Amino acid sequence: MTEVLARRTLRQAALPEAIEAVHTELDGLWDDASFVPDMDRMTFATAVIEAASNVVQHAVPESRDPVELGVDISVTPIRLEARVSAFGAARPDPIDTDPAMPDGEAESGRGLALIRALVTTVTFKRQDGTNTWILSRSPLHD
Amino acid sequence: MDLSYEVKDSYAEITAAGRLNMVSAPKLREMVADVVAAGTSRIVINLEETAFMDSSGLGALIGCLKAARQAGGDLRIAAVQPQVQMVLGLTSMDKVLTSYPSAAEAFGDD
Repeated sequence: MTEVLARRTLRQAALPEAIEAVHTELDGLWDDASFVPDMDRMTFATAVIEAASNVVQHAVPESRDPVELGVDISVTPIRLEARVSAFGAARPDPIDTDPAMPDGEAESGRGLALIRALVTTVTFKRQDGTNTWILSRSPLHD
Repeated sequence: MDLSYEVKDSYAEITAAGRLNMVSAPKLREMVADVVAAGTSRIVINLEETAFMDSSGLGALIGCLKAARQAGGDLRIAAVQPQVQMVLGLTSMDKVLTSYPSAAEAFGDD
């Protein structure tokens, strides 16, 4: 397995304030992994924030307990990976994992299309009451 | 994000410093609504200090553009930084939201 050079994790209530916490973790991650080129940081961070925002905005609790947002980001010499989870969330409606980018004056609906454009792979899995989006970007560009 | 605005001779300039995301996007919408309600519908959003924008922020800009146009004016953006430019380009919204090098130039020719 490839060596993980830097890693940040977060788990807290899926509220808007959590997005600022994800930004803070990303900033800290780049401090720990200064070799990651600016373009990779910019694209990957944007995708992670989109995915986390999606959890905060759309995840529906499966029980009476509120949904928690989990973010686990790791950096290896050749790959950035983020696992963005909705803990305690109901199974989402069927997801179009390759949606078209809305055009014109639509004010929403671009998040997932944007994620697809920013990272190399996007996968979704549901396990034990948790919905997880796994985003990866590789290889790292000079 | 820190939001402030200043009414100039023929337009209002809103300065947005920080991250334009799902937390700050509703605040930007409110500010533009306030500016339009106060009688100024030509608005430039100065993005010089906006280091980050996501699709929620982009949605707010589009909503604000509509609000300004419905009031007979326009909304333009200025001093766009690389991450914001990337989001505008990937979503093709750079064709909808007109960008200018500086806030002063946004309504400089009309």
